[in-house]
This record gives sequence, structure tokens and C-alpha cells, in this order.
Amino acid sequence: MTTQSSYSDQKGLNLLQELEYILDSDPLIDEVGFIHPSQFVALDHNGDDDLLQSEGGIESSRRLQANFSETGKLRFWCRDHKLGISTEVLFPLYNAAKHLFMDVIRQYKILRNVYGEKDNMESDVMKHSRALLLLSCDFGTAWNSRKMVLSKEQDLSRFMDELHFSALVLSYSPKSEQAWSQRRWVIRMLAERCPNLQDIVEKESDLVRKITERYKMNYRAWNHRGWLVSYMTISQVLNELNKSRHWASLHVADNSCFHYRRRLLLKIFSSKEGPSPVPNCTAILYQVWKEELDWDEMLIRRYMGREALWLHRRFLSLFWIKHIAIELHGVLSHLEDNTAQNNDLAYFLDNEFQLLENCSNIPDSDFEDGKAQAELSASHFSWLCKQCAKSLPTEIQEKLKTRDLKTLLHKMCPDKSFLWDDLGFDEPSANCIGPVDEN
Amino acid sequence: MEDLVRELAVDKHARYIVSVEKRKDDFESVVMEHLRMSGAYWGLTTLDILGKLDMVDPDEVISWVMSCQHESGGFAGNIGHDPHILYTLSAVQVLALFNKLDVLDIDKVSNYVAGLQNEDGSFSGDMWGEIDTRFSYIALNCLSLLHRLDKINVEKAVKYIVSCKNVDGGFGCTPGAESHAGQIFCCIAALAITGSLHHVDKDLLGWWLCERQVKSGGLNGRPEKLPDVCYSWWVLSSLIMIDRVHWIDKKKLIKFILDCQDKENGGISDRPDDAVDVFHTYFGVAGLSLLEFPGLKPIDPAYALPVDVVNRIFFGR
Ligand SMILES: [Zn+2]
Repeated sequence: MTTQSSYSDQKGLNLLQELEYILDSDPLIDEVGFIHPSQFVALDHNGDDDLLQSEGGIESSRRLQANFSETGKLRFWCRDHKLGISTEVLFPLYNAAKHLFMDVIRQYKILRNVYGEKDNMESDVMKHSRALLLLSCDFGTAWNSRKMVLSKEQDLSRFMDELHFSALVLSYSPKSEQAWSQRRWVIRMLAERCPNLQDIVEKESDLVRKITERYKMNYRAWNHRGWLVSYMTISQVLNELNKSRHWASLHVADNSCFHYRRRLLLKIFSSKEGPSPVPNCTAILYQVWKEELDWDEMLIRRYMGREALWLHRRFLSLFWIKHIAIELHGVLSHLEDNTAQNNDLAYFLDNEFQLLENCSNIPDSDFEDGKAQAELSASHFSWLCKQCAKSLPTEIQEKLKTRDLKTLLHKMCPDKSFLWDDLGFDEPSANCIGPVDEN
Repeated sequence: MEDLVRELAVDKHARYIVSVEKRKDDFESVVMEHLRMSGAYWGLTTLDILGKLDMVDPDEVISWVMSCQHESGGFAGNIGHDPHILYTLSAVQVLALFNKLDVLDIDKVSNYVAGLQNEDGSFSGDMWGEIDTRFSYIALNCLSLLHRLDKINVEKAVKYIVSCKNVDGGFGCTPGAESHAGQIFCCIAALAITGSLHHVDKDLLGWWLCERQVKSGGLNGRPEKLPDVCYSWWVLSSLIMIDRVHWIDKKKLIKFILDCQDKENGGISDRPDDAVDVFHTYFGVAGLSLLEFPGLKPIDPAYALPVDVVNRIFFGR
């Protein structure tokens, strides 16, 4: 038993040494993945083609590192700064990395406040935690150990290296909470040194774009991008709105991207006040908001039945009514009296109602998307009425009451009848609907 | 009703939980070892709800839990790892299940948690400073179970949570972050524990939450996402706490959860026919308990512990 386990220990240590050697010899590795042995064959085939086609064939083949075990099985594969690790070696590799890491971090914690040379120990902490995190992305103690070493060194280039490393972890685990958190920690440290973070903010935003390109609906990634907004200037905010528009129109189901846009819009809103208000902010806000509403309506009409688009509209229209049409009226030069304000509001609500009419009367409503579109439109309009009712002038409130939402809601979304009843949208001639559940 | 009871593979789920604890011979199981404390909480709470907690040896569990405590008072996810507020709550919850909170140095643990509160009322997860409303919930839950809420500024803690509310009525992990059912649960439960639910627009939030139910009956955690068993807990417990649970179709949800069982080998998955894990087994069983499924112990929607455990702590019975 002992011989067997020490044999597998030794095997793991050899594997770890190999991995660390590969990582050291190519610091530019920017992508890592776990690969089933059968996929290595495919990789090699592609590789041959590449070699044949590319002019720098010799150079590429020199950069290709394929590591075989004694039995001839491929364990690591590395080319063009992409690293593949065979799924067959993960278990012994992980055990070796964990044991070496846990040993060195235990010693380091005891000795780190004692006077004396600890460079070797620090480099071991960084080396083994790196290997470990490439196998287990949310091993918090390993991330912490790196923060411990980095905050002692306070070396700008080491902080930048850490951004590169956590991006490498994200390449195989784009949802890793700890990897995203590590980036925020590094950026907070950098912010203490250089107040001008414009470059970093731009690069971070670009990284999120690349990652969300490959893995959709990634809450942690988009949240990271949203966190950056507080570091952005207004021109960056406007730029980000422009840059993410095309992406959003190609991913109309990704609520996170639309939420990101909401955050950017709110940043413009909050920039009109405060210690250093942005000049012309109200006019910019008015313009940008209007464009966003029109753009969202265009997408809604083009892509039927998409929940994220309608939820975006809830936000845009409620905010428009409460904070732009009502609050900012008067500030805006072309809206000077109450009549103008009311006209603007009435016009806006008429347009929303027009949208509802168009979307709830889709001829072939057996079609699933058409049905969803009708449900979502009815739901949107009633949500808006409910949320803004109290903010509206009386005559507009009266006008809204003439719209028969109740029948529409019960027809379009009968499965939510309890919701409609409770919210005062009870069906006028309610036929008896039994309770949903009487367990 | 009788038919329904037979649909839940109680014994198989219990055996599955106990077997997972013992597995240590492949990458998939060791790679989760850094969060073993949370795993213990999920597994043991499931066993308790199923009425099977006697399948494990309490002394063994408790001595392992205590060996994960750090000198700072906080608990780590496993022996030798760094402490974190996440695992500190899990440790306290596990001890509460076994009625063993008295093995703790209560002040030491609660000082660790209270020490993580920031000036603005928010909580960091550990000494490295990441802030999240999940950590606010954990701190409030943990200190409440230990009767030590007086060690923090509750008013500021509530104020911070309220600052994370969005226009849609939901909550995110920090101010301005996207609403997410998991974060909503944390914020609502934290407000419930501190008696501050009046800060919530219940109709507005309830509307968003009940829109999480998709055609199959399952619940998702955000718009346009696939349904997932774990949201049966997060969405459902939130709806219960704000008294709007009758806005969803409970029968369809029960059926969805039951369809996610592995009826051969036990365990529950995120969606029908996926691979099972302890996390989703816990949330599936806890969800069924919230739905008053017969034969299960009722669970408290805010403390995420069986109601009898919570009563024992607060009413001494
Ligand atoms: Zn899940």
C-alpha cells in the first residue's frame, strides 16, 4: 500500500514539474483547457495542417511542446501560447500541486513576519498556487496566498502579471468568482498608486467582451464590467454604450448586457449633479435615452418574444416618465410649460400603447414566439401603468383608465391570474377560477 | 397525495448524500474540497429534512468542523484552508443542526463576523475585502443564530442592502448590480431576520419573481435562463417571505423538482436528466419542504434551517 501511494506521489510530482516547466518557459500562455486523450489526436492532425500551411513551419514546430509519459501517452500539449492538459493526469497532478502548495504556504505564514530572506519561499508560493489554480479555479486559499505575496512586494509589474494570470484562469473557467474577484483586488491596489485607470478600464472591458463572446449569460463577467463603470469618465461611458450596442443586438436574450447598458445610462444621469457636474449632461441624457428607447423598440419588433428586450423597456420607459419627462422638464429649453410636458407624456404613452396593440394582435398567435410577444407586451404595459400611475398628471391617469388591460391580461397570460387579481387587474366578468393549489 | 409521497426517493437520496461524503478517489470529488464545509451543510440539512440525520455520527462531524476553525475565530472550508464568512455560517448551521452550538466560543466567532463589517454597513467575505450582499445575509443570519446582533450596526447593514435594490424590485450583489434570484434571497432573508421587510415593494418584487416560472413549471434565476432546481429554493423562499407565493403554480414546480431525481442511485440534478450533485439535492429537497411536501420536515425560509432547529435556538424548545 505504501509503495503504491509513494509511487503515485512521485508520478504526481513529475507531472507537476513538467507543468511548471512549461508555464515558466512560455510566460505568454493565454489559454488553457483540459483535453480528453482522444482529442489530442485531433489536435495533432490540425497541428500538422498548420505546419504545412504556415511559412514559419520550423519556428512553429519548435514552439510546439508535446510531452509524453513513459508509456507514450500525451499529457501536455502547448502551441501558439495555448496549453492543453490531459484529463487523465488531472487527479495526480492536483494532489501533487495541492500538497506542495499547502506545505509552502503553511511555512510562509509562520515565517513571513520573521526577519530574513524569503524570496525562494515566495516564488514557491507563486509557482505552486499558479499550478493549483489552473486545476481548481476557486481554491480561495491559493488566491489569498498570492495576494499576500503581492501586497508585500508592491511591484507594479507583478500586479500586471497577476491580471494576466487571472485572465488565464478565466480562459478555462469564465465563471470563476474568485478569479474575477482577484482582478478587482489588483485594480483596487493599482488605483491607490495611479489615479488614472483609463487604460486598465478599457482593457478590462475588452476582456469581458471577449469572454462573454464565448460563454453567454455570464453574470460574474458582466458584473465585473458593470463594476468598472464607477471608474469611467463620461466620454468612456458614451463610448461603451456605442461599443456594446452591436453586441447586444446580436445577443438579444442576454439580460446582463442590457443591464450593463442600464448601468451606463444611470451613470450619465448621476453625472448631471454632484461636485463636478458634466456640462450639457441633461441634453446628452435626453438624447441618449430617446435613442435607446427607439433602438429597443426596433429590436422588439424584429425579435419576437424576447423577455430581456421587454424588461429593458420597462426600465427605460419608467425612468423616462418619472425622471426625464416630469423631473427634467423645464430644464430642457424646448419644453417650457405644463401643456408641453403633458403632450410629451401623452405622446409617449400613446406610442407605448401602439406598440402593445401591434404586438398583442399577431395574426398567427399559435406560433410560440407570437404568443410570447403578446404576453410580454401586455405584461409590459400593465407593469408600466402600475409603476408610474401616481407620478402622472390626473388627466393622463384618467385617459389610461379607459384602456381595457384587465381582459387583455387574463386572455394573454391566464396562468398569472392570481397576480392580476391581487394587483387590481381582476377580470371584470370574472368566471370562477379555482385555486391553483390545495395540497 | 399518497401517490405524490411515493414519487420522492427518500431513502435513495439519503444514501446518496452519505456516499458522496466518502468519495475521495477522483478529480471531480477532490476538486471541491475547498468548500467541504458548505457541502457538509447542504448534505446534513438535506438528511435532517428527510428525517435521516441519524445516519451520520455527530461526534465525528463536530470534531471535523471544529478542526476547521482558524485562530481569528472564522471557519475555513476545510482543514488548513483560510477562513471565510461563507464557511463560518455553514459551520454554525451544522452545529445548530446537532444542537451543539455550546461547543463554540460564541464571542470569538461573532467577533470575527462583526469585524468584517465596513463603514458603509456592507460586509466583506474575508480580510481581503470583496463585498457582496451575500456576505451581509451570512453575517446577519450567523450573528442572529448566535444571539449577537448587538455586535454590529444593524441599521447601517440594512441601509446598505436597501441601496442594492433595482428598479425592477430585485437586488444584486452590490449597488447597481443586476437582479439575481440568489442575491434577492440573501437580501430578503437579511431584511426578514432584521425585521425590515417594509423596505421592500412586495408587489413589484413578487411580479419579477413569479415571472421566473417557465412553461415546464421550473424556476429560473434571471430572465431568459433555463429553469434550475436550485432556484426552487431562492425564488420560492423569497416569495414566501414577502407573502406572494400564490402567484406561482406550485403543483407544476413540485412536478419539475421530482422529475430531476435520479431514481436509481439517488440525488437530484439541476434539470431533468442531468448529473446529480449534493448542492442541487439540497435545494430540491428544501424546495419541496417549502412547498409543504408530505413527510418532510418544514424548513425556515430565512435561516435555511429546519424550523424545529430555529425554534430550539430562539424559543429554547
Ligand atoms: Zn443550479
